[in-house]
Amino acid sequence: MMNEAEHVIKVEKLTKRYGDLLAVNDITFNVGKGEVFALLGPNGAGKTTTVEIIDTIRTPTSGRVTLLGMNVTKKKHDIVRRIGVLPQGFSSFDRITVRETIQYYSRLFRSRNTDVDGLIELVNLKDKTKEQYMNLSGGLKQRLGIAIALVNDPEVVFLDEPTTGLDPRARREVWDVLLGLKQKGKTVFLTTHYMEEAELLADTVAIISRGKIIAMGSPGELIESNANYLVLTLQAVDEKAFDIVRKLGFEPVHDDHKNIKIRVEHPDDVQKILSANQDAGASLLSLDVRKPNLEEVFLKLTGEALREGPSGGRRAE
Amino acid sequence: MNLRVVGANLVVSIKSFYRERTAMFFTVAFPIILILVFGSIFMDQDNVSFDLCVQDLDRTDSSAHLVKTLKLNGKFKITGIDPAIDATQYVNDNKVNLVLIIPKDYERSFNQHIDTDDLSTSVTLTCVYDPSSSSVSTKMQILNAVFAVINQEMSGKPPFITTAETSILTKKYRFIEFFIPGIIAMAVMTASLFGTVNLNTELRQKGVIRKLSTTPITRTDWVLSNILYQFILAVISTIAMLLVGYAVYDVSLQINAWLPVFIVLDVFAFVGIGMILTRFVKEAQSAAAAANAIMFPMMFLSGSFFPIEMMPGFLQTLARILPLYYVNEGLRAAMVFEDNMTALRYSAIIGVFAAVVFILGIIATKWEEGK
Repeated sequence: MMNEAEHVIKVEKLTKRYGDLLAVNDITFNVGKGEVFALLGPNGAGKTTTVEIIDTIRTPTSGRVTLLGMNVTKKKHDIVRRIGVLPQGFSSFDRITVRETIQYYSRLFRSRNTDVDGLIELVNLKDKTKEQYMNLSGGLKQRLGIAIALVNDPEVVFLDEPTTGLDPRARREVWDVLLGLKQKGKTVFLTTHYMEEAELLADTVAIISRGKIIAMGSPGELIESNANYLVLTLQAVDEKAFDIVRKLGFEPVHDDHKNIKIRVEHPDDVQKILSANQDAGASLLSLDVRKPNLEEVFLKLTGEALREGPSGGRRAE
Repeated sequence: MNLRVVGANLVVSIKSFYRERTAMFFTVAFPIILILVFGSIFMDQDNVSFDLCVQDLDRTDSSAHLVKTLKLNGKFKITGIDPAIDATQYVNDNKVNLVLIIPKDYERSFNQHIDTDDLSTSVTLTCVYDPSSSSVSTKMQILNAVFAVINQEMSGKPPFITTAETSILTKKYRFIEFFIPGIIAMAVMTASLFGTVNLNTELRQKGVIRKLSTTPITRTDWVLSNILYQFILAVISTIAMLLVGYAVYDVSLQINAWLPVFIVLDVFAFVGIGMILTRFVKEAQSAAAAANAIMFPMMFLSGSFFPIEMMPGFLQTLARILPLYYVNEGLRAAMVFEDNMTALRYSAIIGVFAAVVFILGIIATKWEEGK
């Protein structure tokens, strides 16, 4: 683990109330220098409230948050110069072009040596520099938002749901930009409700649910410590296979594609299931055995789905 | 305050304005349209003529002479009515508001009065009128004045009381010269108030303000940027209005240092009010309603369109607590009457007001979200 001095973000017993609603409930965690930290949770879990308290947009009800060694409620003015923020639902001036927008924010930070072209290249907007903000697609807007978050060469970058509402291709393009940031060694604080985003980008994932952090660690650690089982997925010709598995004492479920998903505790169980099917003459089209992913860990931990709708929770590939 | 930051905001605002052609059009066109419309309505007031229907039942040279005298007065466009028609019916049917009836024995009475010197003879002309029409009383007044002159002339004696006019102004001023300073004050107020409220509620709703709150820009920088931007727009629309005034109506208005002073104070005051409003209304629609609630009383009660002397006493008192009144009257003092003392006094009043709302505007501007 990192020692105290290397923590750029320290959150202690943070609580935020909106009237009767307890949005963030006594959470504590640290983020190390150069770390990509993902706060993962469903809508309304308290992700945005948490990140907006840390990046000085909101004030906490109680608790103590230190960013770059400064108390966020007392040193806002000094802090904002050293951080970059992509707020949730980022938006900018409609009729101002990509290049002008970056220049504008660079002037707000009074940074005379912002590498505007470098930023444009980093977020891959070279062909769009003269395009007005209102004419950009959702993905391009977010990429511009990331470029703006970097105009002051910040020590910590906050990205609040950077890919929400984007189509898969645009999302992947934003991820490429974020992977570039990770390679540069920036400290990144990310909130997301996309499991694959957290798995792909984060060094540390904190799972937040109803204002509480319920698990934290690297994606591998989270899976390892919370899921000592395997997921067997069968694509069967007919429904017979489902009953055969159930009779063996397992609890099969259908996934979105009518595949049969079975949680097995031991590799031997896989053999048992396959043999039983073979004996009964139930032919299988494909089978897949793997460790559970973060989605399944999340489900197990919270009992709630990360996203709503049938497309929720599939892996990136 | 940081000039580089204010400058950056100004560049963004002006580019947005320049690229949004409709906004640009209305900023310049709206006050010009107002000047043209109101100018045309009120400019011709001196040579305005009323429709007058005359039913001559006498049909003699004398009655024809009377009609001619009315015509020569210049205030009336006269329409003759067939003597056979019932005048009351005619007023109802034809939506005219006044018919003057010359009685059948007009010439006989006239001759009797002149020839026999019988001063007891008189003639009664009947006016059939619609009291719900607003122009009737003016017409009757003019008619009575004309008849008074005729009566006086017939007496054969020169009038005892005559009047001579001495204006306190070296030059004769027309309505349009009083009107244009009022429209400048009003247009600058409207643009500053609406511009500020619309821009800020829109940026807040879109989340741009949230992003700005994570940059080093201060509330003072932001409010000052808004004021400077609105001042530039105000200068553009003022120039446009003055150009129209000079080109179309050949106005004679004094352009002096007071003009920019009052425009700056007008902008400060109403951007400040706009900032305060933005704080208390959540959505763009309710913001526009709130801005209207402030704008309309100012517009109609503070003497932009007509002198406040036309209003009842309590409304005049009310007008004197409206900030726009001091801009209106201050600009008139400076541009029409060249009265520096009044301009100074009024600029001091609106200046204090502007300073107070400007500071309140900065305090009201909120970067942080939520409670």
